[in-house]
Amino acid sequence: MAQVDTSVKDSEPQHRVLFVDDEPDFLQMLAEAFAPLSQDRWQMHHAGSAAAALEMLQQQKMDLVVVDVNMPQLDGIQFLKILNEQHPGLKKVTLTAFATEEKRTECLANGAELFIEKPKTTEGFKSVFVMLDGLISWLPRDDFQGVLRRVGLQDVIQMECLGRNSSVLEVYNDQVLGRIYIEDGNLIHAAAADLIGEPALQKLLALPGGSFELVPFESPGERTLNASWEMLLAAAVRVREAQAAGGTTVNAEGHAEATVAETLICSGKGEPVYEFQCADAQTRVRLLQNIAYHAEQLAQILPLGNFDRLEMQLANERIVAQSRPDRLVYVRVAGSPSAA
Amino acid sequence: MKDPKKWLAERATAPGTLGSGVRQADGKIFCHSADESCPAGRMEKILRQFDGMKLTLFKDTVPPRWSTWTFEQGQIWLVARADGWLFALAVRSESDALQSLDPLTREFLSLKTGK
Repeated sequence: MAQVDTSVKDSEPQHRVLFVDDEPDFLQMLAEAFAPLSQDRWQMHHAGSAAAALEMLQQQKMDLVVVDVNMPQLDGIQFLKILNEQHPGLKKVTLTAFATEEKRTECLANGAELFIEKPKTTEGFKSVFVMLDGLISWLPRDDFQGVLRRVGLQDVIQMECLGRNSSVLEVYNDQVLGRIYIEDGNLIHAAAADLIGEPALQKLLALPGGSFELVPFESPGERTLNASWEMLLAAAVRVREAQAAGGTTVNAEGHAEATVAETLICSGKGEPVYEFQCADAQTRVRLLQNIAYHAEQLAQILPLGNFDRLEMQLANERIVAQSRPDRLVYVRVAGSPSAA
Repeated sequence: MKDPKKWLAERATAPGTLGSGVRQADGKIFCHSADESCPAGRMEKILRQFDGMKLTLFKDTVPPRWSTWTFEQGQIWLVARADGWLFALAVRSESDALQSLDPLTREFLSLKTGK
């Protein structure tokens, strides 16, 4: 049992993450890979057994526990059950070198927020870090409630695809029931009411609230989605952002119709993932990074938590700019009337 | 508006309001704290921060008429008038104060600023 990183910045909140694994070499690899990625935002602890982890949890509150499924004596599943009883509010993630569908279902059923295969490459460690950091940092978004309660629907799809999993997401509210099918990390089919394919996926991802549930994969019998999951999610984000900005409805009274004039979606590092009528992506990326900088300045004056987005109304257009660690989004809606 | 501070104290009071401020065209700033977590000095800093953004964020474009900075736990709302007056309001997320943003904005935009 040892604390890996104790350099706490007084001014910044740190997340306490406990890794439980009987393989000291893997714990060391995690520590070395995640320390530079977390940039002191994580305080990492590790324990070599479930018993040692329980002892640590008695002494110190943790924000997230990452558990190896295959441990001697008390295995990961048994450990999850104990954590559910003794620390019901604690976020839990399971890691395994031997992922099976049965084990995955069992882990999720026993309270794990995520079931992740142990990374083997540098990129793999980065992906796992992004998933864990997302889970630990993000509050519930939308009004969705689901098996993975603390992350949004889109985040779950992203995690499923990154993990190359096969699963079905059942999404519903009081008006719509739909299903999103993921096979080996690819979005293959979506159905909602009388819609299938991309329109169904976009409809489900744009729902203002509801519930979703991750259930074991079963073949949908048809394939209606063929683009990469990144492209499909990016397109859905564009539709949702446009709707949020009030830019997609036709005005029945004959007033000028607002339309999405430009969209740019980038990774957190500013690499474009999706562009729509974006003449100069680099200028937009710089603007988004500049906005993130000013948001940080504002947050230092008035601490209101993590920055989510900036909405701006100009003379005849509205701009929604989202700067988050994992993505940058810029949507410009032309013809959008002033709100005030 | 003869007394911006009085207007802020009387009007920006919905539950969940943290603080508010007005910067006149001549640069004078008046702020009102509605919550101990947001003393008037912080609202003044926020207004000055927005002034600074004109030189960086909006150096190549016309500054927005209004902007909303949304954070996990609250929003900062800024409204600019053509005559140079600025209004800033900080509110908590999911509070009644969110409902006051539009009416306060309309009121601010229509206020007479003569002496």
